[in-house]
Amino acid sequence: MKFIKNHLMFILPLMAILLGIEFYLVFDRTTDSYEKGLKEGYTMLVVAKKPVTLQKLRQLNPHIATLEAIKREQIVSEVAQGVSKQSKKEILAALPYFYNVGLDSYLGTAALEKIKKDLEKDSNIKRVETFGSSYSSAYRLFAFIKFLLKVFIGFMGIVSLFLIIKQMEIWKYAHRERMQVMEIFGAPLMLRAGVLFKVAIFDAFIATLLTSAVFLYVKFVWAAQSGIDLMMQKQDDLFKMTDMAILLGVALLLVIVAVYTVVFSSKGVQE
Amino acid sequence: MSNVISAKNLTLAYDNGRKEIIKNASFNIKKGDFVFITGPSGSGKSTLLKSLYGQLKPKEGNLVVGGRDLASISSRQLQELRTHMGIIFQDYKLINEWTVAKNVVLPLMIAGYSLDVQETQAHRLLKHVKLSEHADKYPLELSGGEQQRVGVARALAKNPVVILADEPTGNLDDYSSNVIWDLMENACQQLETTVLVVTHKIPTIFSLPYRHFIIESKGVYEVH
Ligand SMILES: Nc1ncnc2c1ncn2[C@@H]1O[C@H](COP(=O)(O)OP(=O)(O)OP(=O)(O)O)[C@@H](O)[C@H]1O
Ligand SMILES: [Mg+2]
Repeated sequence: MKFIKNHLMFILPLMAILLGIEFYLVFDRTTDSYEKGLKEGYTMLVVAKKPVTLQKLRQLNPHIATLEAIKREQIVSEVAQGVSKQSKKEILAALPYFYNVGLDSYLGTAALEKIKKDLEKDSNIKRVETFGSSYSSAYRLFAFIKFLLKVFIGFMGIVSLFLIIKQMEIWKYAHRERMQVMEIFGAPLMLRAGVLFKVAIFDAFIATLLTSAVFLYVKFVWAAQSGIDLMMQKQDDLFKMTDMAILLGVALLLVIVAVYTVVFSSKGVQE
Repeated sequence: MSNVISAKNLTLAYDNGRKEIIKNASFNIKKGDFVFITGPSGSGKSTLLKSLYGQLKPKEGNLVVGGRDLASISSRQLQELRTHMGIIFQDYKLINEWTVAKNVVLPLMIAGYSLDVQETQAHRLLKHVKLSEHADKYPLELSGGEQQRVGVARALAKNPVVILADEPTGNLDDYSSNVIWDLMENACQQLETTVLVVTHKIPTIFSLPYRHFIIESKGVYEVH
């Protein structure tokens, strides 16, 4: 009973850290395309009197990356249905040129306003529509959620690390006497700390397996029945076997650092 | 013959040097010497042994053991040096979560002997200290005197170059005490082991020539 409790006190906080990491990995993967869409799908609308070139716009503002003309004939045929061919031609002649303009990076509202001003300085350009507020609010909300998630996982990680160190101190106390006796008889560090390493590495494997099991369950059982589109489309991304290697690596690193801390801080203790 | 232990103007102290226990002690101990150390309780007998196995650094003076200056020894060198020592503690210092047999062969385990060798040696050593039937018990299941004999067996396990014994017969009746003295005499005589024994009572029947140090008023004096 005491044995199991001792291990759980170590495995649970370790699992909390691993779950946090894995959750972040999965979140990042499943929302990757959504984020890209938010980031890259953005275009502003430019209305010009005469045709413009990408180079010309770039001279006005270096953030401009792509230029795509909107077919004027389509606009006319949609706007002027049932109008005679001759009138259509006249409308077409009077109609300005419309462009979708893409940017090289994600920019805030203020930067978008600056681009708008830069472009409107040119007398050829009649109007620039940035759609600034709706674009940035969707992206900002997403960025904010992601940031909160990072903060939460980081906080959980710190709390868990404290718990792991606390448990390590209990172990250190439990093993201190034996480690001292072995030291007096000339045992090298690895032999003195051997039991601690064995226990800690064993626990690291258990924590990794349990965490993987949770995510495998989510992937194959829960996601399939969840009815959430994103989950069902991205089922493959929910847990990858390479994640297991990442988790094991992190877990082993954490426990080895923890054991070394304990072993070195109990060194040179004089009774 | 070469000195196994050499102390010159040795001062030992606790509490960062504020509490001096031994001051300006000088003595030499040669290979194969058998030394009894006596002195009043609290005079610093255990403290002197502690300094000899490197657990307490000299405050002043020189202390050389097995050719190593203990004031400047590296932890790796100390580790190596300790594998040639057989130490018997006043408070036994057995590992309570290990069986008696495993405790006894700790020095062999550290030296990397196979489990087979460890097992046969455990058997032999426990026979020497008359504890064969207790091999699979745990230290806390034994009496004080029995635990003390486990500690003696452990110290003798790897035929050390030096035996440092702190009251090895403190808890034993005359019969068991004589068993221990015999073992140490044999080690000294046959293997030329250097033996330092702290005791409050030098045995009356002792066949080897020996030296006698007294620790008193912070000094270490030899009785001639
Ligand atoms: N770790 C320590 N820190 C401070 N003082 C200590 C420490 N260990 C021992 N002392 C003090 O050093 C003095 C000598 O102690 P030591 O244990 O060497 O005596 P001893 O001669 O072995 O006594 P005994 O015959 O009772 O075992 C004592 O006054 C003791 O209180
Ligand atoms: Mg003592």
